[in-house]
Amino acid sequence: MTRFLIYIFLLSILSLSSCKEVLEPPPRDLRIDDLVLKRAQDVPAVRVGLYSSFRAITQYTVVAGDFMSDYVRYNGTFGDYREFGTKQITTTNGDVSAMWGYIYNTVYVANFILERLPDLAGVQPAAKKQLLGEAHFLRGLANFYGANTYGDIPKVTTTDQVTNRNIPRAAKADILASVLEDFQYALTNLTTDQTEGAAYANQNTVRAALARYYLYQKNWVQAEQFASQVIDSKVYTLEPDFKTIVFNNFPKESIFEMGYTQNDANSPLLNNLLVTRREMIPSEQLIQALASAESKDRLATISFDATKQRGNDNGWTVRKYGTATDGNSNVVVFRLAEMYLIRAEARAQQGKLAGANGAVSDINVLRARAKAANVSATNQADILATVERERQYELAFEGHRWYDLVRTGRAQAVMSAFSPNWNARYERWPVPQTEIQRNPALKGAQNPGY
Amino acid sequence: MRKRFTLLSCWLILILLSGSLAFGQTRRVTGRVTATQDGSTLPGVNVVVKGTTIGVSTDSDGNYSINVPDDKNILTFSSIALISQDIPVNKRSVINVKMAEAVNELAQVVVTGYNSVQKKDITGSMVSVTSDKFKELPVTSFDQALQGQAAGVLVTQSSGTPGGGISVRVRGSTSISASNRPLFIVDGVPVEDGGLSSVGTGGQNDNAFALLNPNDIESIQILKDASAKAIYGSRAANGVVLITTKRGKNNEKTTITAEVQRGMTEIIRKPRLLNSTELLDLQREALVNAGQDPDKFGLIKGVTDAINTDWVDAVTRRGLYQQYQVSATGGNERTRFYLSGNYRDEQGVLIANSFQRMSGTLNLDHKANSKLSFGTNLTLARAMNKRVLGDNSLNGVYSGAVNSLPFFSPYNELGQLLVPGDPNYSQRNYNPVGEALFPRQNVISVKVLGGIYAEYELLDNLRFRSKASIDYNSVIDDDYFPTTTWAGGISEGVGGQGLGVYTASVAATFINTNTLTYSALFNEKHRLNVMLGHELINRTDRSSFVQGRLFTSDDFTYISSAGVVDQGSSSLANSGLLSFFGEARYDFKERYLFTLTSRYDGSSRFGRERRFGFFPSASAAWRISSEEFMKNFRDLSDLKLRASFGYTGNERIGNFQFLGTWGATTYSGSSGLGPSSVANPLLQWERTREANVGLDASFFNGRLTFSVDAYSNLTDKLLFAQPIPLTTGFGAVQGNIGKVSNKGAELSFSTINMDKGFRWSTDLNLSHNVNKVVELDTPEPLYRGYEASGATSTNIILPGQPLGTFWGLKFLGVDPATGDAIYEDKNQDGRITPDDAQVIGNAQAKLFGGMTNRLSWKGFDLSVFFQFSYGNKVLNLTKTSTVNTGASLDFNQSKDALKRWQKPGDITSIPRYEFENTYNNYHSSRFVEDGSYLRLKNVTFGYNVNKKWVNRIKVTSARVYVSATNIWTLTQYSGSDPEVSTLDGSTSAQGIELNTLPQVKTGMVGLSVTF
Repeated sequence: MTRFLIYIFLLSILSLSSCKEVLEPPPRDLRIDDLVLKRAQDVPAVRVGLYSSFRAITQYTVVAGDFMSDYVRYNGTFGDYREFGTKQITTTNGDVSAMWGYIYNTVYVANFILERLPDLAGVQPAAKKQLLGEAHFLRGLANFYGANTYGDIPKVTTTDQVTNRNIPRAAKADILASVLEDFQYALTNLTTDQTEGAAYANQNTVRAALARYYLYQKNWVQAEQFASQVIDSKVYTLEPDFKTIVFNNFPKESIFEMGYTQNDANSPLLNNLLVTRREMIPSEQLIQALASAESKDRLATISFDATKQRGNDNGWTVRKYGTATDGNSNVVVFRLAEMYLIRAEARAQQGKLAGANGAVSDINVLRARAKAANVSATNQADILATVERERQYELAFEGHRWYDLVRTGRAQAVMSAFSPNWNARYERWPVPQTEIQRNPALKGAQNPGY
Repeated sequence: MRKRFTLLSCWLILILLSGSLAFGQTRRVTGRVTATQDGSTLPGVNVVVKGTTIGVSTDSDGNYSINVPDDKNILTFSSIALISQDIPVNKRSVINVKMAEAVNELAQVVVTGYNSVQKKDITGSMVSVTSDKFKELPVTSFDQALQGQAAGVLVTQSSGTPGGGISVRVRGSTSISASNRPLFIVDGVPVEDGGLSSVGTGGQNDNAFALLNPNDIESIQILKDASAKAIYGSRAANGVVLITTKRGKNNEKTTITAEVQRGMTEIIRKPRLLNSTELLDLQREALVNAGQDPDKFGLIKGVTDAINTDWVDAVTRRGLYQQYQVSATGGNERTRFYLSGNYRDEQGVLIANSFQRMSGTLNLDHKANSKLSFGTNLTLARAMNKRVLGDNSLNGVYSGAVNSLPFFSPYNELGQLLVPGDPNYSQRNYNPVGEALFPRQNVISVKVLGGIYAEYELLDNLRFRSKASIDYNSVIDDDYFPTTTWAGGISEGVGGQGLGVYTASVAATFINTNTLTYSALFNEKHRLNVMLGHELINRTDRSSFVQGRLFTSDDFTYISSAGVVDQGSSSLANSGLLSFFGEARYDFKERYLFTLTSRYDGSSRFGRERRFGFFPSASAAWRISSEEFMKNFRDLSDLKLRASFGYTGNERIGNFQFLGTWGATTYSGSSGLGPSSVANPLLQWERTREANVGLDASFFNGRLTFSVDAYSNLTDKLLFAQPIPLTTGFGAVQGNIGKVSNKGAELSFSTINMDKGFRWSTDLNLSHNVNKVVELDTPEPLYRGYEASGATSTNIILPGQPLGTFWGLKFLGVDPATGDAIYEDKNQDGRITPDDAQVIGNAQAKLFGGMTNRLSWKGFDLSVFFQFSYGNKVLNLTKTSTVNTGASLDFNQSKDALKRWQKPGDITSIPRYEFENTYNNYHSSRFVEDGSYLRLKNVTFGYNVNKKWVNRIKVTSARVYVSATNIWTLTQYSGSDPEVSTLDGSTSAQGIELNTLPQVKTGMVGLSVTF
């Protein structure tokens, strides 16, 4: 009996020693929270994670900026895009919730870095400084998109789950003030080194962001100044052929561009919507604009295929987003042409119309590249209207139109003419219905009209 | 791995060391066992010294010889199908015994998990299905054989695909997001269940159980209440199915059995679709109604309908079915064996679809001495499943055939299949015949299921048993879509030069079980059986995947010839379970019986603080028939009242869900880390509280037996991905919220109606289960199923409603004046919007069951098996395209469309057809139908050839039979088959038909010869 008990005892010891191995198998393709950014080697990995999170937002800036506008017609089967196509956006729209989610996902990663990185030992000071700058910059840019898309949004400054589960909306002005702080921090801390190209942020990237920020703020002086700084840096040059912009990744004029390669899981959204499924096809209004003499080469943004023309389908397809193997799957955030357009608008608003430092010369730079005739307008109103049209030709499907119409106060006029369903409430996206249901502090805080 | 071996070697040493324990004084007893009925000798009867494990079996002449220790006096004689007897030795040295055939099954010994018990002494709720109930059904896998055989067990075959998915639910569904499948245990090893292939083919999965040969199975036990299941603790909430394979018997002459089955299969019912002329008229009408000119759409009478293709005919066939099996079984007093080899080849009713299996099994038991025995069970199987795309694929074979317009032909003028690039190839139809014949979609799976055990009697009545087993499954998906198919030829993003996919995965489970069993009888009254155990389960999943495109030509179909290898991955994951369990059974004079069971389980799927779960249960039974006051009820053979209460669990969610984690991510060609989930250290077991009362009765010496059970189960701490605000950076956290209840009643009934030369017996089982989501702590409605036009989604999970609830607009009929659909304006806002959607039915049956009648007379026998389901609804989503009221002209229409509204005053339930009008085709109760059915599942007629004749040619016995399945179905359902489910395995979206291949009927002849 004693011997038997000893065996049982031995057996139990053996099995208990294997307990840890059986019950705590190592996660092989996951790292637990507590271990992330605890070693210096993690810095480049988490940096990639930050950009990857931010990149997801930019797919939806095109959905918001272009699908909300007069550029598209619905030609698919997905309910979410029917809403955009027919201008009947609801609070349960999947993309409205997806963009919100990606914004806060980026904010989470940025806050995570800002909380952990300062105390992490063994990191090269330059690398630490750069990543802290990038975390500020991308958090700022995410919030910039958030405030312009949804209006007032929760201001998330921590990774604390309890705080972030019950967080009210902050005024849009508050959010934009924090965006400016983040941009300014980034401007002083980011590198001036350009060797990583347009996929990663440097000081010029922040300047481009500030140019757009001040344009939206109607601070024309600052907008002009930052746009000029970027243009004058001579780092970026206009592609001689506009087709390069449409069909290639990383053209020479790209300032900030979200890179996709064929291993990226979530790259196909825009390609799928615009090319594979053709959920959204160019509207007649846009086709006419791009086919105009003023636009000229920029018609390459879209293409026509007679075999697809059937019923309601006009046969046109947006070309800016191919597959990764096609080599034009990237989403451009800032490129040099936009800087010319920002400066042209800022100058026109300040009355600087003609001459070497006038709005017209900036527009003509782009006209020349597109092999179109120079601008003939001379008075301020006409030149501003020219800028608006030029932004259509140049920046269609890069996520600008709806934001431009809203910030210039033209949305109601343009969109009502385009769609009978247009309503002033569509100048902002609704807060996603699920957020209002899940976050007690958002109860009853929907945007008016929804 | 090293530690496992340490563990294994430890018990081996233990057994070797203790082999020297001494024997006591014994007396030798010999004798012969004969049958009461005809005096023939009975081989293979177990003779055991009661209260010990000393036992022998009678030899081929019914003789036995056993050493009885002096302090023991009783010999127990038992054998399956015979009534057991306890006979006092009383110092005799020769004891001859006559044994009677057990009419009832109460004396049968039933495996209850880690232990076994006589059926009459069971205190919990379990049901046993023996192999004679299914051995002549042409089933691919044993789960299919359970259909209609056991009360409380709902088996649904998701489609008519050979080797395809089958859903088994024991007493309803307990979980929303964790698995609802029961735990399947083969000879003590939890086996891989569900689908094996990692490549989806539009809803339907394959079935891991198709690798196990049902002919090797001796019996199947289904454990239903907490008392029976709690020994499996954390994994038992959905029921436990124990499979016992065949083993040799002691002193049994070696018998060799050869079996052949050959037959044909065909689809039970084809969908009733329009021919070209009918469809053309309908489409023209739809266009005219929409104010369009049909001629401009190229729909011209006499031209468009010049071709009339029956696509379903084009993709279906009569399939050939064949199965061959040779098995040998036998044994002497020390060694027993069972050996079998099986080959099965089943052609699907869809062209190019087939399933082949080769399997071999060896079960070996050896008794080294009176104390030590050991043995092995080993099964090797390989299956080749040639699949075709199905259900929810635009380019699926059956789905394509149902939807394709009859205006097109699969072949050109030269009789060649139309392929992409051909001017007559239709992009609206993708030629389903080509989609079946051209691609290669092979799943090659290999299973090794094996274990070794040793059992040692440490002290009198105290036995130690240890078993180590593996379940090793290797699965390869070998797919190639040539340029002649949609995927390889014209799919956007593939490049039109072929698409190849190759995946290889291994799922391996190692399990080591150690048990100590003690049994004793005190004062001839108190019987005690105690079992303690320990189990360790370690599971490893490895998988790899590679995809290539731009092939040199269609002659080069493997990825080494791909121009671009654009996707690939590999992964490894481990999970484990460490458990301690115990069971104590006590009875007083077999009149009052008690069982206490519990299990303490630790799972790698939960965090340190909540890792271990405790699952206790208690049950009691009262044999009323043994009471004095029952003496006068002579016709009553046995009456037993049972009650049980206890807890079981569910841990079948993904790994590492309690951890906050970061995973690999990429950006612009660099790889890094991104957040993937948020931590919930408090994540824990889903727990089901179960209560059961039952009554077992047996009359007229077992000629009439019945069993009734009523139960009430409540699952709480539901494992559920709880939605959280996106401002946290995440959308959900795996939590434990909500409650689901299952309440029901079951009745099993069997009678021997006649038994005088002509024998007629009836088995009937009925089950009723009410499933309800009691509580769901989520702020938003949980939509499931498919996205639905005009109503958000086809399914919903709502408190107060069962799982499998259908959601949609309520269809009130067709306005006789306009022909438009009328929907209920639920919120009375004057518009029909998704906000008007409501519950429009559910897929849960109110009553289901089966009935088998068996008749036999002089070697002839007939068995007739009906199976039914009552009160379940089926969502016929196929009709959203085949009775689509003109929403699209790209789909053929059902004959039902002929009943459409055409002119004012028409009274019909089919709205008018108008091109691109989606309103009339909104997702509504128009598509929900009564899915009740009664099915003549099987008829088998057999003849056992007179032994006198066959013995002359050295054959012991021979049997020929014919068998037919799914012969006749009574149903109101308008589709082809009410028993299908497009989302195979789904609980919250069960019972949906979407271009799903109906069941097949099989006719076959079989021959079985024993040497």
